[in-house]
Amino acid sequence: MKRIIIDREKCDGCLNCNIACISAHEEGSNFYTVNLQSPDAETRNFIKFDVGKGYLPIFCRHCDEPECVLSCMSGALEKDPVSGHVQYDENKCAACYMCVMNCPFGVLKPDKKNRTKVIKCDFCDDKPDGPSCVKACPKQAIVVKEVNL
Amino acid sequence: MKIVIIGASAAGISAAKTIKVSEPETEVVIISKEDSVHSRCMLHKFLGHQRDAKGISFIADDFFETAGITWLNNTTVISLDPDKKTVTTHDNQTISYDKLLIATGAAYFIPPIPGLRESKNVYGFRDLNDAKLLDRECQTAKNAVVIGAGLVGMDAAVALLERGLNVTVIEMTKDVMSLQLDHQAARAYQQLFEEAGAEFILEDKVVSVDVNDVGRGTTIHLASGKAVPADVIVIAAGVRPAFNFTQGSGIKTNHAILVGDDLKTNLKDIYAAGDVTGIAGIWPNAMKQGRVAAINMLGEKLLYEDRYALKNTVNFYGLTTLSLGNINPEPEENCEILIREDRHNYQKVVLKNGIVLGVIMQGDIGGTGFWQYLIKNKIDISGKNKDVFSLSFADFYDLDQQTGEYKYAV
Amino acid sequence: MNSNFSCKTCASADKKLETFISNLSVDTSHHRMEGQSIKCGFGLQGICCRLCSNGPCRITPDGPKGVCGATADTIVARNFLRAVSAGSGCYIHIVENTALLLKKTAANKGAIKGKIALAKLAEIFEVNETDEHVCAEKIADLVLADLYKPDYIKMELVEKMAYKPRFDRWKELGILPGGAKSEVFAGVVKTSTNLNSDPVDMYLNCLKLGISTGLYGLTLTNLLNDVMLGEPSIRLAPVGLRVIDTDYINIMITGHQHSMFAYLQERLIQEDVIEKAKAVGAKGFKLVGCTCVGQDLQLRGEHYKDVFNGHAGNNFTSEAILATGAIDAVLSEFNCTLPGIEPICDELKIKQICLDDVSKKANAEMKPFVFEEKESQSNEIIASVIEAYQARRGVVALNLDAEHGNDDTLTGVSEGSLKSFLGGTWKPLIDLIVKGEIKGIAGVVGCSSLTAGGHDVLTVNLVKELIAKDILVLSAGCSSGGLENVGLMSPQAASLAGPKLRAVCESLGIPPVLNFGPCLAIGRLELVATELAEAIGVDLPQLPLVLSAPQWLEEQALADGAFGLALGLPLHLGLPPFVTGSSVAVQVFTQDMLNLTGGQLIIDDNAQSAAQTLDSIIEKKRQELNI
Repeated sequence: MKRIIIDREKCDGCLNCNIACISAHEEGSNFYTVNLQSPDAETRNFIKFDVGKGYLPIFCRHCDEPECVLSCMSGALEKDPVSGHVQYDENKCAACYMCVMNCPFGVLKPDKKNRTKVIKCDFCDDKPDGPSCVKACPKQAIVVKEVNL
Repeated sequence: MKIVIIGASAAGISAAKTIKVSEPETEVVIISKEDSVHSRCMLHKFLGHQRDAKGISFIADDFFETAGITWLNNTTVISLDPDKKTVTTHDNQTISYDKLLIATGAAYFIPPIPGLRESKNVYGFRDLNDAKLLDRECQTAKNAVVIGAGLVGMDAAVALLERGLNVTVIEMTKDVMSLQLDHQAARAYQQLFEEAGAEFILEDKVVSVDVNDVGRGTTIHLASGKAVPADVIVIAAGVRPAFNFTQGSGIKTNHAILVGDDLKTNLKDIYAAGDVTGIAGIWPNAMKQGRVAAINMLGEKLLYEDRYALKNTVNFYGLTTLSLGNINPEPEENCEILIREDRHNYQKVVLKNGIVLGVIMQGDIGGTGFWQYLIKNKIDISGKNKDVFSLSFADFYDLDQQTGEYKYAV
Repeated sequence: MNSNFSCKTCASADKKLETFISNLSVDTSHHRMEGQSIKCGFGLQGICCRLCSNGPCRITPDGPKGVCGATADTIVARNFLRAVSAGSGCYIHIVENTALLLKKTAANKGAIKGKIALAKLAEIFEVNETDEHVCAEKIADLVLADLYKPDYIKMELVEKMAYKPRFDRWKELGILPGGAKSEVFAGVVKTSTNLNSDPVDMYLNCLKLGISTGLYGLTLTNLLNDVMLGEPSIRLAPVGLRVIDTDYINIMITGHQHSMFAYLQERLIQEDVIEKAKAVGAKGFKLVGCTCVGQDLQLRGEHYKDVFNGHAGNNFTSEAILATGAIDAVLSEFNCTLPGIEPICDELKIKQICLDDVSKKANAEMKPFVFEEKESQSNEIIASVIEAYQARRGVVALNLDAEHGNDDTLTGVSEGSLKSFLGGTWKPLIDLIVKGEIKGIAGVVGCSSLTAGGHDVLTVNLVKELIAKDILVLSAGCSSGGLENVGLMSPQAASLAGPKLRAVCESLGIPPVLNFGPCLAIGRLELVATELAEAIGVDLPQLPLVLSAPQWLEEQALADGAFGLALGLPLHLGLPPFVTGSSVAVQVFTQDMLNLTGGQLIIDDNAQSAAQTLDSIIEKKRQELNI
């Protein structure tokens, strides 16, 4: 499957991946117009900083054995057998947040506006030109690669 | 090979799915007493009329056909013959198996209180059938009483409030959801429920129920002397693993069906998973157990190690809480308790010798999944030299260069 | 594999140039676009603040305010006003130098070539002086006196120069500028750490800077230069890389301060200097135009036929011009002198000399222009250029493109020359507009950039769309460098215009895109607009006139833009000026400005839809004028 491979040494913490992610999920927006102050502005990827290690990109791994899917009691989270990506169906979700609890890497989060859905990487719906965050990374700290699991 | 699974909830469905993915030619028969597959954790959405029965299903509409699974619904297994390797159903079918998975879950329990078991308007809140019965009552009832303020009781209460009933919740302990929350975290929910119209009677016990001439409970009497009128009563005082049908089969039990780490019972080719095993009565664990049992049934060896069950999330009225581990330690345990709070958050971390024993994260729970790993694996965080509340996965960040998967650097 | 530096160059509207650059073995800005293709979203929206050590702060969903409490609105406004202040400072620096030079030229009884310009200024400034040198000096003094006023004393010439209805509106809004240099200072102070946080106050300040920039930095620089260097006159001239003649010692000029070259360009064609060139095997010296100062020479080219070979290209053509190998020296006195020319100069042994330390290039010789030493300085410059010529010619390979550009670009258009061309009155143009033969006028101005589709791509495409809608285009700035090289300023470009405009152009023998020269000439467009408005008897916002800086590049362009908005004109930009992170900024620029000055910002990087918007604005204004 395709996975966003992280080279954390290259990350400069510019947060372009955040903007790209928010923009990708605000229909019709671009880098100029995306409303970063909207209550709907949510990023699905995170850059943490550690004095010793530098910037640490936290991106959904679409795990081989996804704990979030195993914990989902509504069927909203499913691992797509073809793409291998963990897809989320907002309409099915009951917002129990077992997935938030079960993601060992702290990638998942409730939506901040209403807490009625989960904010999770959708690999930009497997668009042919790849996830928006990857395209927006000026350092190629994140790149899409095919991984054999 | 033919695998029979009894029960079509988390463990049963997860096992069936696992089998069909790895060995599609294996014959799988699921027997369930219900005619739908639904998620118990969403019953309140059904009762609250936010979703219909289909809306609380956790599988695709065509799950059974697509996967090639035989589903005997509306069918209750009444006995098990491990020698002949058959089960018998309420309608006298005898079904043979090569391997059997018992995933019958648990059933609610009505305490032996005078009048309570006898009342016709007493319901559990365990499966869709319960919810449907309650739904019918809601059409006429005005006053609802929920006995037990655990997660199930609160689920029922939120739905009944949604339906416009007067809801009184009676709880023996001094707080709602006392297994998951501490006093402060519980108060936050209690307030939200009260704002929505609920009334709570805490630290009190039901001693008797008046039953009228048509057999319905009308008034609930409490130890304090209080009397609460009731048109409908929901009992949420706990569940018991459901394995009556195994009587006489020789299966080893101790309030639950006993299994090894491979989820095999003492009987040949019989496995159990989910609530019926008493290992961890929580959805993610049941799913995982279903999967592990399936793999073992298929002849591979996989051990179930995730016995960690002290975990839950709560989301009522948009207030979310993550609760893990030992959150209300006794003074003699000599734990260090750290608390941080603000307008939107209440956070509590229980530490002992640098090991996190429990956390409550109420408010913003985004990205808190890593705490479970720390607690489950007893990771010593004393070397982190960092405010414990600012920890995240980043503090344990490591990557597998080949697969790109994260690892814990501990 | 070949010797090309990289196969990834950006597109150019100028396809010959695109090919030329893609085949170069040196690195150019066109190559570097690829490496800079991913932009910082916070920067694009203008919501990154680096004003204190708590920062840089960026506005994010989790951090909706800076540490100090500054909102996106405050951060954007501060960044914007800082940029406009800097841009204004650049133009004010130019007019200051020009006025100082005029003063010294006049005091030393130097040549006054632009007698019409002098008379015009004397009339506007109400200077009654028969002696032209005394008159010129007084004019320079008046300009300098205004520039050096403190910010709390209003400049006096504003009222004399500005169109009355505009002046009144500015007064009402409280945006009449104090001393132009002090206003830059005030803008910088206002935007420093934890000072002004009121976006509206800061945007009004931008308008104030726009007025001082426009009237002084732009309009007066042109007119003062005209006095010293002669007025523009209309003619056909060659443009593009073809203008480079290898028989000569070639000096490429970059910058914005034409008057600094005045003495040198005279010297270069004097016999003794030509002899020096001949002595080393060249026929003489030639100046090769690049950037706005090249446009300035082109504009006044009638006066410099012998020394000026033509305009080769705009700012983002400068590296290509050098890469021909036929340029022996670069003389620069201001922007847009790209740092990217330095390694090319080093590699191709091109001598770099800077005449003004504000644009000191790292590897250039600094020779600050001193009026009193201009003779000796010029001789030194000539000597070192000859030295460079000897060291490099024959050693450095030539890579010419005689096909690039054209020989018939109409140049020399100004408020004066255009009016003369029309017979000394604006009436013929007004009649054409009234009759609808010319639907309206678009000033397509400003810079060239490599964004918005590539080098000059949006500019050229937009202009094609506009002329097809019978809208006459006037261009000033690096935009005209691109437009002329692709042939849109040649008379045969009339065939690309809509039927009505085409007929007008063909009958007059002019192109549908008129070249006013450098960005400074945006001031000339303002003069044209004002004179038209005066002749019709309306205020500027009522004219069927729009502005566009499709590929605005830098801070000066933002100050120009502020001028356009202060004039009350609709202003189109291809890309937003780093303000979209603030809803207040967007509201002020795109909506509220209509009520303030009558101006309006339109952002659109699509040539077709932008042209449509501008066309509908022109249509609306025509309707309101009942024409």
